[in-house]
Amino acid sequence: MSQYYDIDDIIAEDELVPAVFQVSANGVGLFDSSDETNKVEQGSKVELPFWLARELHLRQAVSINLPHCFNQKTREELAADAAHVDLRNRCPYFYELGRKLFTLVGDKTIGTLLLAAFQTRYREVLIKAQTAALAVAPKFLTLLTKEETKLYEAAQSSMVAFKKWRMGGPRFQKASVLGRKRRPFE
Amino acid sequence: MYAKKACELVKEFSSSEPGQLAPFNTNLFSQVIEECNFHFHQLQSLLSKIQEGPDSQTKNADHFGALIHHLSLVRNKRCLMAYVHNRAEVIRSLGWMIEPPLPEEIQEKLSSSEKEYSKNQSATIKSYQSEMDLDLAVDMVPPKDPYIKVRVLDDIGSVALSDQIANLARHAILFLRRTDAETYISQGLMEELTD
Repeated sequence: MSQYYDIDDIIAEDELVPAVFQVSANGVGLFDSSDETNKVEQGSKVELPFWLARELHLRQAVSINLPHCFNQKTREELAADAAHVDLRNRCPYFYELGRKLFTLVGDKTIGTLLLAAFQTRYREVLIKAQTAALAVAPKFLTLLTKEETKLYEAAQSSMVAFKKWRMGGPRFQKASVLGRKRRPFE
Repeated sequence: MYAKKACELVKEFSSSEPGQLAPFNTNLFSQVIEECNFHFHQLQSLLSKIQEGPDSQTKNADHFGALIHHLSLVRNKRCLMAYVHNRAEVIRSLGWMIEPPLPEEIQEKLSSSEKEYSKNQSATIKSYQSEMDLDLAVDMVPPKDPYIKVRVLDDIGSVALSDQIANLARHAILFLRRTDAETYISQGLMEELTD
């Protein structure tokens, strides 16, 4: 599913996830620069990047909460009109992060949320890619997540290829029989 | 925050045009390496503390501190590897598109090991081609027509091509056999005209 060298996968795992430490850890004072003790206490709330939060969660060292891009407000907005929610601003890797979080948090609603959001937005992306003039598109593009932007570009390039195919070359060739003069009837 | 810089490096690669190279970020790269060293020292000191401790079996605060440093190291490594790997992929594909050696503008964006890589790669291809007596760089895109329309970009003079003797003067537009034109195009002396 995810490759070691995959750039997008790496960046997606850098998204911050709120977590609560269930244990204390020594020698890691960097989470809070004002901290003199160089130590994270049990029960302290921090925002960890996903790659760290996942591994610590698997070892029962932290408990993960859902990041704010999956909060109630976003869910309501997505339910109202998914196509016009600014997902890029909230989390440019909305689907990827959601999929990764789903297995950890055990919140069953994430799956249906992602699916519903993607279905509505995918339709909109395809319609916009095929109809919108290039001048209109940029405003719409700023709402899309990384994956949706790729879909949009793919849809547009295949649209261009299709038009080129339809226009280019002698599409309608005359059958050789049609050019012949009718043989005089004898 | 841990491994922030490494991720910046990856983001920088991701924001560059696909198939093109940004200059190798030596500065940030060495900063990440430094951060790795820091994590490594912290990890070592914590590990020795754990071993000296009364019970090295139970998981205490030192254990989780060491774990965080270890995970940060792994993460940093992944970011660095991905940066180097993906750049190498771009260099490899450039090696097929452009006749080696790579032009000066691209050369100066590479790190020294990347230059070595691109040099070795073209040498390997060359030795394979001479061994098999086969030119792999011909027809990277399957041709639709053996002849193509080209514009000459530089004064080349009269050249005997495989089927004709052509006067390749600057700005001339002619029909050439694809196989003849391809070498000139990859050297930047001609451009293909597509309609």
